[in-house]
Amino acid sequence: MVRLWGTVDLALFVVLLVLVAIAAGLVGSLTGLGGGVVVIPILAIFFGASIPIAIGTGFVTILATSSATGAAYVRDRLSDIRIGMFLEIATVPGALIGATATVLITHANLDAALFVALGVVLFAIIPGSLARRNIELPPPMPQDARSRHLGLTGEYHDPALNTDVSYQAARTSPAIGVMFGAGMVSGMFGIGGGVFKVLALERFLNLPMKVATATSNFMIGVTAAAGAGVMLAAGYVNPIVAAPVAIGTAFGAFLGSRLLPGLRNRTVRLLFLPVIAALAIEMILRGLGLP
Amino acid sequence: MSSASISEGDPGHVPPLPQEAYVRMTLVLRLGLGLSLAILGGGIVAYLLMNPGQSSSSVLANNPILSYLTLPGLASGLGSGSVSAVLTLGLIVLVATPIVRVVSGLYYFQKVGERAMTAITLAVLILLLLGLLVIGPHVR
Repeated sequence: MVRLWGTVDLALFVVLLVLVAIAAGLVGSLTGLGGGVVVIPILAIFFGASIPIAIGTGFVTILATSSATGAAYVRDRLSDIRIGMFLEIATVPGALIGATATVLITHANLDAALFVALGVVLFAIIPGSLARRNIELPPPMPQDARSRHLGLTGEYHDPALNTDVSYQAARTSPAIGVMFGAGMVSGMFGIGGGVFKVLALERFLNLPMKVATATSNFMIGVTAAAGAGVMLAAGYVNPIVAAPVAIGTAFGAFLGSRLLPGLRNRTVRLLFLPVIAALAIEMILRGLGLP
Repeated sequence: MSSASISEGDPGHVPPLPQEAYVRMTLVLRLGLGLSLAILGGGIVAYLLMNPGQSSSSVLANNPILSYLTLPGLASGLGSGSVSAVLTLGLIVLVATPIVRVVSGLYYFQKVGERAMTAITLAVLILLLLGLLVIGPHVR
């Protein structure tokens, strides 16, 4: 595999980062995987960035993607603010614990273990991202007491189905547990949060696919802010790397959400998942010290 | 136009948030992202112009913002025109954008009198600030 670190002029490095980030934003917004799955391994493998710096930059891609694409979802009321905010009570502490764990593991000079773990998480999100139900409207389920008390219901207009859809959240207890785990994975590695959040929103809360995707997008920004806050304050977000990545990711996410609406989500996933698998293998091999 | 429901039973009587809440949160996202990208874009161009010939490995080995991660340090850096301080400010605005969105959620939940959601949102806000202001600096 080509390794470029130490040989690139800073101006070229910044241009390459912008290009990588545009691809990451494009892929992230089209697949819901988030830009971190592209940026983190490429920074670590091709540019020799330390794992915590790569993960810190991964948070920047999530923040840029979530803010760039989230505005439209919130405006169209597809993001359910009430459900998203309720579940943040689980994802935010998870992300704080995860990001703190990453900093402490780095201080203990266990970066190699982080390499392997990151590779494993990259692998884990592949079946998760393929396992989406692709059912626009799930069959009805009874609302639980907590959901009823907090008013976790909503309604949106679906132009594709030409109908107004009303929904209500079910099974909030297991969803909270999964969200805590999703927050922890996201806080620790800067990736994976969106995939696990969408699964929990669809499978446990029984939300329509579009609401689950938009609400996950709303949530990943807040979860990433928790992880990014810890990593930034701990000194693991390098602005010379983060600035071009933020600009490129926002542009790529904007392109993905506006210019390529006809591209099928599943097609993009199937094309891109082998690339993630290859990066995951490289991360694990690197962590194990194998060539 | 038809309507579809995936609700079962009485959906409860909690009123939806006003449309104004959604409009304001959209505005927060757009302004926050736009402002942070403008600061980061200007900062990175200035950094490149002021540091010709630097390599990627030297940038990756040294994080220039460490001295600007306190409020006095950041204020002093911005006052002296430090490009690294400007970049730090751009990162802080980027991280703060979702946090400001939580603040606006807190405002609207409180405004419509939803005590439970107000308490949950306040707890989320406190946790976010805890990470940025207490946990991060403590584990540095």
